[in-house]
Amino acid sequence: MAVIVGILIVAFIAGVFGSMLGVGGGVIMVPVLSLAFGVPIKTAIATSIVCVIATSSMAQTSFASRGMTNMRLGMFLEVATTVGAVAGGVTAVLIEGRILQAAFAVVLFYVAWQMGRRRGDIVPVETAVMPSSYYDPAEGRQVSYGVHGLGVGFVLSFCAGNVSGLLGVGGGAFKVPIMNLLMGVPLKATIATSNLMIGVTAATGAAIFYGRGYMDPHWAVPAALGILAGARVGPRLAIRLRAKVLVRVFEIVLAVFGVLMLLKALGVGV
Amino acid sequence: MSQGAGTPEKHVMVPIERMVSRILMTGIAVSVALMAIGLVLGLFDRQGMPTHVVPLADLPSLLRSFDPAAYLSLGLIVLIATPFVRVLGSIIAFAREGDRRYVIITAVVLAVMCLSVLLGRA
Repeated sequence: MAVIVGILIVAFIAGVFGSMLGVGGGVIMVPVLSLAFGVPIKTAIATSIVCVIATSSMAQTSFASRGMTNMRLGMFLEVATTVGAVAGGVTAVLIEGRILQAAFAVVLFYVAWQMGRRRGDIVPVETAVMPSSYYDPAEGRQVSYGVHGLGVGFVLSFCAGNVSGLLGVGGGAFKVPIMNLLMGVPLKATIATSNLMIGVTAATGAAIFYGRGYMDPHWAVPAALGILAGARVGPRLAIRLRAKVLVRVFEIVLAVFGVLMLLKALGVGV
Repeated sequence: MSQGAGTPEKHVMVPIERMVSRILMTGIAVSVALMAIGLVLGLFDRQGMPTHVVPLADLPSLLRSFDPAAYLSLGLIVLIATPFVRVLGSIIAFAREGDRRYVIITAVVLAVMCLSVLLGRA
């Protein structure tokens, strides 16, 4: 019983942060489950994938009703991430896991630095490509924007899908900076759209894990319930907080994630 | 800018947003209900909480005998299936809008999702 309550609390926190930043919360769930609760790694990954789906579905009900999710952009980039995830198996043969993890960490540090340098959100430019607008309560105004850099975004999303398919984590951590820094999507719309996208790759992974019998309801069910509760709260914070604050939190999370990846690459625990 | 025009906080959902929201909310509600039933059944079960999911083939018979693992498993299955249904629903919504390009894009996503599940099973 104490274990179930523990999982519920951890999952709730992961749900809040994962949905608030559009990264899914798997980053928190895998190490906590395997290190603190002694869950076997495959079961921990299976559980965390279920958590990503729960985050995505629940968060979207808040973001979509605010019109923050760019549905067309999401679907367009999902083509790249899903194909990239399938191709992950091919890359696994070509590059050694540790080198990939180290490269992943370096990219995370670079992205955290790039986002930090800005000290705020990007300035939206209205273009005719996938135009969208939403009301930002923190700024008290309507934000209108168009997307640019579709080609670059598509190619990099393919890479993001590829790497996350290989390492089992990290899709959202790349999707957010790609859309925000390279495609001109304001941070809140980026977070909302990333939240929609992560559910797709996670659902595919979860179906495979279920079929192979790695899913354990005794961990997955309390984790999913905790995440669902947390993912009710996270989007509200994302909607209410100033984009500047979200950028700062995101930067810190990326850096922590980078350190974890680097430790993994060096073969230290986690 | 449309600031000051009525209540700016109230966003009127376009059909695709409404479709996606409805599917996701239904998926969550059904899945939580099944997990809750499973947890309650598990509390009264002599074997305690199940630690394995039930294979799809055994699901119908175990559901009929009120096996806690079956209800927890079905709750997880519904949760996992929700994004698949969401993508399918998006295809329908784009088709109703007459946006042929996005019907194709979304159909490709669904096809790749199904393909990778099939490949992953092997």
